Amino acid sequence: MDVADDLVLRKVCQKLQQYNVRNLALTGETDITGDLEIDSVAVLDLIMEVEDEYSISFPMNLLSEIRTVGDLVRAIHKQAGAQ
Amino acid sequence: MDLFDKIGGLSTLHDQILSAGQDPFGVCMDELLHPTEAMIGGRNVVLAGTNNYLGLTFDRDCVDAAHDALERLGTGTTGSRIANGTYSEHRTLENEIASFFGFGSALVFPTGYQANLGIISAIAGPDDYILLDADCHACIYDGCRMTGATVIRFRHNSPSDLEKRLQRLDGDGGNKLIIVEGLYSMFGDIAPLAEFAAVKRKYGAYLYVDEAHSVGVFGEHGRGVAEHAGVLEDVDFIVGTFSKSLGSIGGFCASDHPKFPYLRLASRPYMFTASLSPANVASVTTALRRIKSDPSLRETLWRNAHALYDRLDDLGLSLAAPTSPIIAVKIESQDEAVVYWNKLIEAGVYVNLAIPPGTPNSTSLLRCSASAAHTPEQIDRIAEAFAMVAEDMRSHEEAEAFPLRRVAKERV
Repeated sequence: MDVADDLVLRKVCQKLQQYNVRNLALTGETDITGDLEIDSVAVLDLIMEVEDEYSISFPMNLLSEIRTVGDLVRAIHKQAGAQ
Repeated sequence: MDLFDKIGGLSTLHDQILSAGQDPFGVCMDELLHPTEAMIGGRNVVLAGTNNYLGLTFDRDCVDAAHDALERLGTGTTGSRIANGTYSEHRTLENEIASFFGFGSALVFPTGYQANLGIISAIAGPDDYILLDADCHACIYDGCRMTGATVIRFRHNSPSDLEKRLQRLDGDGGNKLIIVEGLYSMFGDIAPLAEFAAVKRKYGAYLYVDEAHSVGVFGEHGRGVAEHAGVLEDVDFIVGTFSKSLGSIGGFCASDHPKFPYLRLASRPYMFTASLSPANVASVTTALRRIKSDPSLRETLWRNAHALYDRLDDLGLSLAAPTSPIIAVKIESQDEAVVYWNKLIEAGVYVNLAIPPGTPNSTSLLRCSASAAHTPEQIDRIAEAFAMVAEDMRSHEEAEAFPLRRVAKERV
């Protein structure tokens, strides 16, 4: 799925902006923990925000499959579709 | 490419911390002078960062009981609980723990960490849901990872946030297991257990409470925050440790579930490790009896907790939670916290340095803990060291001596 022009992508990037201390251009390819100043606990906090934003359950088990912003966006679509 | 590349960030951070002075995560005590005083690097240091809440590590009766067990039963069991590692002393301790909480049975483990791994991994499976408080200890997270269950975090100490997440699961089959702690180890705040118990009842979930820091500390009989909140009977699993108020090492879980004893044959961290040494079991059993029979230790602990809290509060320090035996001082930046910590130990006071990601909300903390063994003079020394260092830090701040923090501010 192409996430390049996606509302969820925009929302996720907005939430990630607080960790973007190097002012990178955030895209679907951005590596969440590699490129941003974000620790593992902050990633989990971000997931809680995502759950509330879209009224979905986003189990921690899914996190091992998520590396990039695009991975996260696709997973949100998948969870939203399943619920 | 190296196996250790994945911890490259950690080693860089550690090197930065070392450049500020001593290693806060490698403090070595050369000699223990008292439950709350040690020689460290040739300096007499008051220990304000232990979990020795009741100060029982040198209690005469506990030490004598350990000695006696050592002589009678030897240095170790050399076996697992399901093989040659169960002595009658293990069973006695388990029975006394169960009876202390008024539950049907209890299991003991070699550490508190293993107690959480052992119970969570055995009771939850791929068809179940675990809802855990965001600030739960790492061993709870690790236990959850072993289950294959669907694991969902809820906002710290928020029963309404838990309920919202339970509602989203409404209609899904599978058991729901809610995991919280009684007293949280970093900030020293307590869980609203009465409210959590109400949510648990409403949704037919199980409630699991880790009372590692609260057994012997909270409750009329020292049973923990669940007793303090009057909801002990709503708790399905109480987990705790022997390495804090009980002054030894080991962990336990007590439950009233009729099938709980079968976990002895289902919990891998229980089955596939050697059992607690006889000396550990003996000192813990004696310490537990002391908690049951002598509330004065708890009273002294709370008197000291209030005294230390009030002294630090009077200095204008930013304290993370209301008074409890865990008194965490919030520091604006990690960089500043490291310098602060070094100045404290140079002034003869050891506290725990806690920095992200080991802390909630990216907070940096100087974590103090009160003990019933602290003398009024030791509490004076702790407060005076904080006063001196706080003043020193203020002058540093004016000189902008914290480069990392300055960089962070500029970025904002």
